[in-house]
Amino acid sequence: MPCIRGLQQQQQRREGRERSKEVSAYGEFTTVMSEERYLVEGLTAMGYRVEVHAEGAALVGYHGDERPETAHVIIRRAQLDSASNDVGFVRGKDGRYQAILSEYDRSIGYGNQWLGKVHQHYKESQTLAVAKSKGYIFRGKEVIQTANGPQIRLQFVAR
Amino acid sequence: MQQETITVVIDPNGESSVDLEGFAGQGCDKVLKDFQGDDHAKVQRKKAAFYSSAVDSRNQHLKSGQ
Repeated sequence: MPCIRGLQQQQQRREGRERSKEVSAYGEFTTVMSEERYLVEGLTAMGYRVEVHAEGAALVGYHGDERPETAHVIIRRAQLDSASNDVGFVRGKDGRYQAILSEYDRSIGYGNQWLGKVHQHYKESQTLAVAKSKGYIFRGKEVIQTANGPQIRLQFVAR
Repeated sequence: MQQETITVVIDPNGESSVDLEGFAGQGCDKVLKDFQGDDHAKVQRKKAAFYSSAVDSRNQHLKSGQ
């Protein structure tokens, strides 16, 4: 019997060591929009037709006047409100895209909440593409309604 | 062995979280980095499961008087 007990103890110690090697981790991140492809995919998923200008193009105001601001990714005002200006995303020197939104457009629903949604779609598009390129297997997508709007949950397994 | 799963949750404001389960050793950090991409990290930590497994093991020994 002592022999069996010894083996059981050994087994328990081994299992304990093996379990302690299993690491679970958690991270929280702020989305940085730095890739044109995912920005375009995200805006398209939101239902917009976007223009892409490698060198940037002028934004047009609600009177049809050309504004001094230029942007690399543009949603033309015809797709927004009748009194809207173009919405643009300009790539900064740090490679990050920043939105150009008029005060009027911010006040009619293209403010921070809308920008959050743009970031959400960007992140979804980027996550799916990166996971695929790195060989992770997509297991599914769930959209959960929260008080602040829909939350997207993506699940993958390692190959 | 537990399956290695990755759950990415993207909030309506564009903030995201990545939750890893069942990974071993340094691989864990690489996977987290893969899913972080260019994003700015706000929180990164090993989860309690890692530490509690060692404690559970010790408690079992104490309970059984071994």
